[in-house]
Amino acid sequence: MAYREKIGWLSLIAMAVTFGPYFTLVAMHAFPDAALPNVRQLFIFGVTAVAQGLIIGVGHLYFRRSSPDEARIPPDERDRAIMQRSISSAYYVLIAGMIMVGVMMPFNSGGWKIVNAALFMIVAAEVVHHGVSVASYRRQAS
Amino acid sequence: MNGLVTNRIRVLRFLNGEMSQVELGQRIGVTRQTIAAIESGKYSPTLEAAFRIADVFKVPLVEVFTWDANAAGRVDE
Repeated sequence: MAYREKIGWLSLIAMAVTFGPYFTLVAMHAFPDAALPNVRQLFIFGVTAVAQGLIIGVGHLYFRRSSPDEARIPPDERDRAIMQRSISSAYYVLIAGMIMVGVMMPFNSGGWKIVNAALFMIVAAEVVHHGVSVASYRRQAS
Repeated sequence: MNGLVTNRIRVLRFLNGEMSQVELGQRIGVTRQTIAAIESGKYSPTLEAAFRIADVFKVPLVEVFTWDANAAGRVDE
């Protein structure tokens, strides 16, 4: 498996095990809209972000140590083509999400609902980014 | 749209002392996985990379890559 594909999988798994539970928790416990900042909500978000950072950091270190030669090689033309495709796919998700959150939601929601919706769209865009990248590597693997 | 780029990289590697995919990749500046993807027809290289591959084997480009207009297929860009 290519080094950059491993990094793609790592990012997807990190996202799933951190922001998956975060959004499940947010959906189950409707935090009050008016109270900003909501310390409990901030704490949960902080824990999620730190956990994600840790998983990605440790994963990068592990992959760098297990295949140092591959980690040193800069992205080649195929990596760049895959990167370009995955980023442009994620861009459409992000822009659609930001229009929904920034233009439509302020009319009927507020506070943490908007914050979490924006966060969800960023996470969704990242999932599309890494998902398209991993799928492209898989499709071209022999 | 019909048409497929086919290549003889596997044969040319064999004729050049069973050159490895890693070595070919190093000589043209791409990873082993990219060479494998080109070789199996799953990725079409840029024109520059195609010329570099031909240069490594000291053959003209058309001896490495050929265009089969009747083949039905599609590769990722």
